[in-house]
Amino acid sequence: MNTLHTVLAAVGEGRIQGGWEYVRAAYGICWTGLLLYALSLWIRSRRSEDVK
Amino acid sequence: MDARMRRGLGIAAVLAVACIFGYAAWVGLAVAPPDREMGDVQRIMYAHVPMVQMMLLAGTILFVCSVLYLFRASWKTDALAEASAELALVFGAIGTTLGAIWGRPTWGVYWAWDPRLTTVAILLVALAGYLALRRFVDDPERRAVWAAVTAIIIAVDVPIIYFSVKWWKSLHQVQSNPSTVDPQMVHALRWNITAFFLLFIVFLVVRYRIALAARMREVTVPDAPPRAREAVAS
Repeated sequence: MNTLHTVLAAVGEGRIQGGWEYVRAAYGICWTGLLLYALSLWIRSRRSEDVK
Repeated sequence: MDARMRRGLGIAAVLAVACIFGYAAWVGLAVAPPDREMGDVQRIMYAHVPMVQMMLLAGTILFVCSVLYLFRASWKTDALAEASAELALVFGAIGTTLGAIWGRPTWGVYWAWDPRLTTVAILLVALAGYLALRRFVDDPERRAVWAAVTAIIIAVDVPIIYFSVKWWKSLHQVQSNPSTVDPQMVHALRWNITAFFLLFIVFLVVRYRIALAARMREVTVPDAPPRAREAVAS
């Protein structure tokens, strides 16, 4: 808890308004990237089984 | 275990991970409260932090496998090292991109040469070089040894990344964990870390099997180096 109090004491005042466009962009990139990587693994896995 | 049962288990595992992932995303995006200063932008943390943690975990696995390979050559540890290096690069690149997007509204810039960001950038470039090295060397045994030595050098950066925010207090905030995050956000953070960890494990197992199958094909061909063929048994 001491660390949390130290961190909270360091923050200032005011709050960023809105910002959902950044959240949407971040999650979009994250999920799309992971989905594409999953797809690449699936394709490589199928290829690997075909070679066997 | 027959092929049909393995396929069924695989589908069940993917569905379970998808359900946990969906719940974790909902908790992070809709249930957790907005941050006192950063507002809703802070919700990027629930994807950024687990992604970077998985990068560090993959980097640690890469180091352990590389050390093990040098002590006792085995295609299994070599294949696991290759798989973990690729995952470290994928999770690290996406995680760093999320951090840059988070940085724009909070720091005012997408990128700054802060110690944390710089050390992560070094790791990503080094991992890309490591994976390129693996492609350029034809002899599987020489490739495995060179890759192991390179990986050990690269892995020195992993603890530096972790401790960089403690050693050099600069722009990047301290590690987001239950002791530094508001208790109301801990639940969402834990669920997201769990979801990303399970996804990481699924990816690692699949990538490891692809790498091991490729290695077996390489070392069982008639013109493979004798020592490489001998190592198949281990």
